[in-house]
Amino acid sequence: MKAKLEVLSKDELDTIYQTALKILEKIGVSIEDEEIIKLLEKNGCKAGSNKIVYFPEKVIDRCLKSTPNRKGETTLCGRDPLKDVVMGDDQKYPYVISHVLMNYFEGLTDTYRTITKEDIRKFVTISDYLDTIDGIWMCTLMPDFKEMYTYCEYELAVRSTTKPVCVSSFEPSAIPPVYDLAAALAGGEEELKKRPLTVAFCEISPLTWNKYGCAMLKATARWGIQPVITVETPMGDTGPATFAGNIAQKIAELLSGLVIVQLLKEGLPVFFVVPLEVFDMRTAQICLASRGDYVWACAVGQLEDYLGIPIISPISPDSKLLDMQEAYELSFSLIPRILGGNKATVIHGLDQTHAINNELLLLMDEMMISVRRMLEGIDVNEETLAFNVLEEVAGKIENDRRSGHFLNQRHTLNWYVREHRPRRDAVIDKYRREKWIENGSKSFVERAHEKILEILKNHKPEPLSKEIESTINAIHKKYNIPDL
Amino acid sequence: MADYIESISEAVLKYDVELVKKLVPEAVESGVDPILIMNEGLSNAIIEIGDKFGREEIFLVELMIAAEACMGGVDIVKKIILEKKVDAVKPKGVIVIGTVEGDIHNIGKDIVKTLLEAAGFEVHDIGVDQRAQNFVKKAIEVNAKIVASSALLTTTSPNQKAIEVELKEAGIRDKVKTIIGGAATNADWSREIGSDYYASTATDGVKIIKKYFEDVGK
Repeated sequence: MKAKLEVLSKDELDTIYQTALKILEKIGVSIEDEEIIKLLEKNGCKAGSNKIVYFPEKVIDRCLKSTPNRKGETTLCGRDPLKDVVMGDDQKYPYVISHVLMNYFEGLTDTYRTITKEDIRKFVTISDYLDTIDGIWMCTLMPDFKEMYTYCEYELAVRSTTKPVCVSSFEPSAIPPVYDLAAALAGGEEELKKRPLTVAFCEISPLTWNKYGCAMLKATARWGIQPVITVETPMGDTGPATFAGNIAQKIAELLSGLVIVQLLKEGLPVFFVVPLEVFDMRTAQICLASRGDYVWACAVGQLEDYLGIPIISPISPDSKLLDMQEAYELSFSLIPRILGGNKATVIHGLDQTHAINNELLLLMDEMMISVRRMLEGIDVNEETLAFNVLEEVAGKIENDRRSGHFLNQRHTLNWYVREHRPRRDAVIDKYRREKWIENGSKSFVERAHEKILEILKNHKPEPLSKEIESTINAIHKKYNIPDL
Repeated sequence: MADYIESISEAVLKYDVELVKKLVPEAVESGVDPILIMNEGLSNAIIEIGDKFGREEIFLVELMIAAEACMGGVDIVKKIILEKKVDAVKPKGVIVIGTVEGDIHNIGKDIVKTLLEAAGFEVHDIGVDQRAQNFVKKAIEVNAKIVASSALLTTTSPNQKAIEVELKEAGIRDKVKTIIGGAATNADWSREIGSDYYASTATDGVKIIKKYFEDVGK
């Protein structure tokens, strides 16, 4: 990755990190679990009144050292190991993960409705098909799934993709069936230890691990699941309105989770999901796609390099339609993240993390091809400087005029596709107006919809084996889960 | 006297928490009726601020600080009323508010609470992660006319339905109105569970509650 945007100096990063350590040592973290408080005390933390625990730097350093993926590789495992997402310094391009949410937005009719199982199947199938989408994140909280939504979402997703599937969960009770299915997919419990399941859950800002978060921390340790610690510190709401302070608070909250994970199960890999939300003071809404997010987007790559642990940074437009606001928010959220070196991002659809749309996946696909190309920068060498070919083209003279061009040059043939990454099946329109009218005067959404129908007709995700299907049947019986 | 009332209003409108705390006792010492300070100085100012926020002329942080300034004045007036045994100001209405079981989100609930208190309502906040029975218990205890519940997750919104059930079982469903809000809720959900009102934002919630008590008072 050649291009690199840097907005914080080393000194500034050090200052922010030192403030995070000061927050943990002087202000402490509220922990609503006696067992975890005792564990922290036993390992050198100090417990004060009101369940506040103070973390000394040496404990944090020790736990950072025992985090195996720090300054190494962090893997999100797919059904197909060749589709694994491997985050680290050697990754070739930033990863993009599509996110399944609780509602579906029909792009052609502007209709908004609760998501269905069929919507999930289609969305995941399209994500499975697109090369620029590297994994799927599930968090629909579908009431239809009752108390087993974590499992139901996981099963629905793995049925339609061989790419990595991560789930967000607030229900430790649903982890056992997810674990059983993940173990079957990995080829047994021993294999699952090497290729762990990834589950995300939330700390509560400011500086609180409530009983639900603590239960998830313990569940991941109990089941050997790779935990993803999520912190949300909306600026001006539960975090400072200033960037430096807000980032310091985020780091403190993340490190508190990392310490608990390592003390519960030393050597468990862990990584982070960190959105930057701004509390919009005009509308009293927490917004992910804001000017504040675009600033954070510039810094997140530097921060994850500094910590040595990936920070997946979600993108979520606030627009309610597939309109200009959607395109603006998606672009401004995505481009600085990628240029800033963020290793992976999760892209939500629209409506403030509430809705998904299939056509939007094709816009993301187009944008990702462009930003990946931007990252590669400009190669300067004898061949790309093209002096010789220019000399040849300019040397063609007819009727005392230069008549050459590059269209018939092998140099163009060799380099056009490599430099520009054009697509024969592009959804983006590049026709002359007359031709565009002749083709039906279709909008991007209409063209994308046609392409989506084509993908769904032709792309058949790799089915689950008979053995896995019988494991699923057994899981359904054991945990009283209806067939999906 | 009018000068003091105006100055107190001005201080609220300028988000000057300390000035309100200074002016209110001074006004009382100078013989201004505490009830007048409450109703004309503080309450009118916060209504004006609320309207400004409704028109999107000011930001939420300004509204919240103005409410804090107003509440600072209200607390002083209440104390003086108790000390001087002046006839107590009757609250405009009694409300129980909380976030449902399994849900720890508090911001929306806190905004509603602050604005209602600043506008002269008696609000009993039972906190976050509260079982349906706790809403009902508190409503009976304080003789509330409105039970307001917030749910941010689709997994916790069914607990708003549980409040409806518990209110019926306790035999007080016809004595209170219910209002729901939070990211996991909408008007359809409100109709489905049988709540009386749905608020899409915290400030809408305040408007609905104010209007309810105004209509009842007519």
